Amino acid sequence: MSQPILPPLKPIPIKDRVSVLFVEKGNLDVLDGAFVVVDKRGTRTHIPVGGVACLMLEPGSRVSHAAVALASRVGCLLLWTGDSGVRLYSAGQPGGARADRLLYQARLALDDAARLKVVRKMYAMRFKEEPPARRSVDQLRGIEGVRVRKMYELLAKQYGVSWKVRNYDHTNWGSGDIPNRCLSSATACLYGISEAAILAAGYAPAIGFIHTGKPQSFVYDIADIFKFETVVPVAFRVAAKKPRDPERDVRLACREVFRQTRLLRKIIPTIEEVLAAGGLNMPEAHPEAVTPAIPNKESIGDAGHRG
Amino acid sequence: MLVIVVENAPPRLRGRLALWLLEVRAGVYVGKVSRRVREMIWANVEDGIDQGNAVMAWTTNTESGFDFQTLGTNRRIPAEMDGIKLVSFLPEAKEESEQDDNATT
Repeated sequence: MSQPILPPLKPIPIKDRVSVLFVEKGNLDVLDGAFVVVDKRGTRTHIPVGGVACLMLEPGSRVSHAAVALASRVGCLLLWTGDSGVRLYSAGQPGGARADRLLYQARLALDDAARLKVVRKMYAMRFKEEPPARRSVDQLRGIEGVRVRKMYELLAKQYGVSWKVRNYDHTNWGSGDIPNRCLSSATACLYGISEAAILAAGYAPAIGFIHTGKPQSFVYDIADIFKFETVVPVAFRVAAKKPRDPERDVRLACREVFRQTRLLRKIIPTIEEVLAAGGLNMPEAHPEAVTPAIPNKESIGDAGHRG
Repeated sequence: MLVIVVENAPPRLRGRLALWLLEVRAGVYVGKVSRRVREMIWANVEDGIDQGNAVMAWTTNTESGFDFQTLGTNRRIPAEMDGIKLVSFLPEAKEESEQDDNATT
């Protein structure tokens, strides 16, 4: 066999990427090594997957095996979503690439003292102030719930949106009122990016600290840190304009706010910072550990990318 | 950073563009200019392109970090996807016998 002509594909860091792209209709396939969406008439649109953190596939899209393989090799998270980004299923970038980080995250979550410290750090980052001392995780969760409801009310008033309560039925998309729908599609974007970042950093989306028991518990934890400085104001601002196409407007506005806040640059360092607050060290290799027979290839991507 | 690619452009336009930009390959011009100069150069392209077609890309502070615009017909047309500009490549049409623009890809 002859040598391959091009160098092997490697993922690039999350911080150098565009946040999110949505594909609604068409066949996702690989042509000449490029990721393309082909529509009914045969028009090909190249998607620069290597430069996108996550790709949302909405109903109406079909994906070939080669396309999934290519997305995974360049480290682009594929998320299959329902109407307007209410998330159903995901794959494309397998998680758990780094045993040391998984063990570290699990150890933090299992150790009560460490978990409380992590939760306090999340609280502090989110509300920009230290939480009251000597509170349990449960009590902090209660305080958080109250503050979040207040912040929704406050922001709704600020943007002139009539707001009753955060409610959504994930089985029935059209059911919510406009502000809730805007919020749902805005948070869906944020969750996608957060999950991509968590996987890219080598952590597990399911091991949460405030949230537990869901496949994306840690995604919700991390997304909540950024939620009120990014997507919630955006969703209310769009909802206040009574748009004809709320989802599209929300996405445009989300993209803008992600760029302004430099979210993709901040998100992995924030994950590290939050976990470091637990005060535990990364686990060292145990003494009888044998290094892998085939050494890992060098990568320019993030720690969790399988370069 | 500014990149202009022209196809099938009259020589006078190509010469004109070479006044401000560096022609690194046939019809491919590169430079770094301000927004006003960019608009002035694009006005030159608009006036001089004749039957050809042109594309201009430049760095901005959009999320992808650049933007582009086109002039004239080409099988590649700009496509917008929720705030990110991509390019759609039309399938071969009957009346078109234009050569594939390999130089630009």
